Amino acid sequence: MSARAFALRAAALLLLVLFVTAPGLFAFAFRPLTVNGAPAIYNQGSLLALTLSHLRIVVLATLASTILAVGLGIFVTRPSGAEFLPLSRSLVNIGQTFPPIAVLAIAVPLVGFGEKPTFIALFLYGLLPIFENTLTGLMDVSPQTLEAAKGMGLNPRQRLMQVELPLALPVILAGIRLSVIISLGTATIGSTVAAKGLGEVIIAGLQSNNVAFVLQGGLVVALLAVLIHDGMGLAERAVARRLGRPVDEVA
Amino acid sequence: MIEIEHLTKRYGATIVVEDVSLRVDEGTIAVIVGTSGAGKSTLLRMINRLVEPSAGRVLIDGQDTMAIPEDELRHRIGYVIQGYGLFPHRTVAENIATVPRLLGWDKRRIAARIEELLDLFQLEPGEFAKKFPHELSGGQQQRVGVARALAAKPGLLLMDEPFGALDPVIRSKAQDDLVAIQRRLGTTIVLVTHDMNEAFQLGDRIAVMDQARLLQYDTPAQLLTHPAEAFVEQLVGTAERPFRLLSLTRVQAALEPGAADGDPILVSESLRDALSRLIWVGRDALPVVDATGAALGRVSVRGILAHGRSIA
Repeated sequence: MSARAFALRAAALLLLVLFVTAPGLFAFAFRPLTVNGAPAIYNQGSLLALTLSHLRIVVLATLASTILAVGLGIFVTRPSGAEFLPLSRSLVNIGQTFPPIAVLAIAVPLVGFGEKPTFIALFLYGLLPIFENTLTGLMDVSPQTLEAAKGMGLNPRQRLMQVELPLALPVILAGIRLSVIISLGTATIGSTVAAKGLGEVIIAGLQSNNVAFVLQGGLVVALLAVLIHDGMGLAERAVARRLGRPVDEVA
Repeated sequence: MIEIEHLTKRYGATIVVEDVSLRVDEGTIAVIVGTSGAGKSTLLRMINRLVEPSAGRVLIDGQDTMAIPEDELRHRIGYVIQGYGLFPHRTVAENIATVPRLLGWDKRRIAARIEELLDLFQLEPGEFAKKFPHELSGGQQQRVGVARALAAKPGLLLMDEPFGALDPVIRSKAQDDLVAIQRRLGTTIVLVTHDMNEAFQLGDRIAVMDQARLLQYDTPAQLLTHPAEAFVEQLVGTAERPFRLLSLTRVQAALEPGAADGDPILVSESLRDALSRLIWVGRDALPVVDATGAALGRVSVRGILAHGRSIA
């Protein structure tokens, strides 16, 4: 990483931390956006607490998506699970095509308001990128490498753990990263069903016609997304470099 | 010693290997040669049960391979394929350690074995142990592939086109190295190739396969002088035959008493090399010496030519 790129990232991180811990410092920048003496900085709760619960639900949902999607990806690439490949693909695709807002509408009557419906929506929405990348990663392992592994007497489990998964890891990580980024943005709509998160700030702004609030919520989500995207990208590249095939620099 | 008895492989109605029987003696190299699709790789892969035979059996040192658990059998048999299939996420040392680790060798024993093998294959351990496969040249990758296959000291090594990915210059050196290492370790090797020159250079015995059948399994000289079928005769190359025969015979066989002028020829060289020297320097005969330089006699063009005839 060049010194300039590093400085930019450090600045973004500093800005984020300062903003969520002491938003009052930035009041001057948001005041011109308010009308009729409305508050410039979100005042109905702590930004830090909202950011943390936003992150929490994204992490939990992505973790659940990862466990199911990677598990399913492994299962359908085994000889015993191969016939379930088309079925799993369609199921996971449905999860992605169903709009999260519709999932919320269906889930609320079933599980009530709060974090649960948001979790379900994010979980379903996050499956596809991880599942597809797990498939790609596992299927891209060179047949020669697998043949050699088999010929040396690695059993199916050893082949999976020692050869296939390590080689597929960078691609799987890329899928998880994509899923996290999508979830970070999508989680904001969770606030329509009373899940604690940064969506609250945006919705409060929309309801009181306060652009400053909308901008603040959006800014924190955007900074989070950029930083997490970058951080995970670095991890992927580190893994890929070990494999001797550096992935293309992702912006 | 490996005994292959009536080995057959069918996929539905297609027969890929049909009733093949052959025996490979301890410490020798058997080369299976044939056109592509002749079934030679399938035959090889039935030995370590990567392909399950439809009929027949394989005995290794008298033990039926079907009686040994698959993975255990493969731990005992080295396996090298074209392209080597090195693990790209592991270093050279880790690649070589694969089977010893599966067998639960202790760390010190594995480290010692890695160093021993790297030395044997002329790869400086300090330089190469920590390298990843993508940092190696083709020839180095090939040597690591063979070193990995030999790591747990298998008595038997199976090789499927192990030199196929090398350019001709490196290939011939790699073949010589393999023979030297094989003679030193006494490993039994079964090698598959479509390259007749390679078969003659490496094989103590050569198995010629065509359309799923084993046509002939014999010593190189027998294959040249007594081909069993027209296809074998065609495959060994009628125009090349006398030269191949000469390259199989040492100067010792054509040694004559007497003296000659010129640079001496080593008694251990092949008659083909001796003939090519005679043609090049334009003489009828050259003196022959042994490795210590002591004169043994001479070798003449007439004497050599007699060994390149079908009724030797």
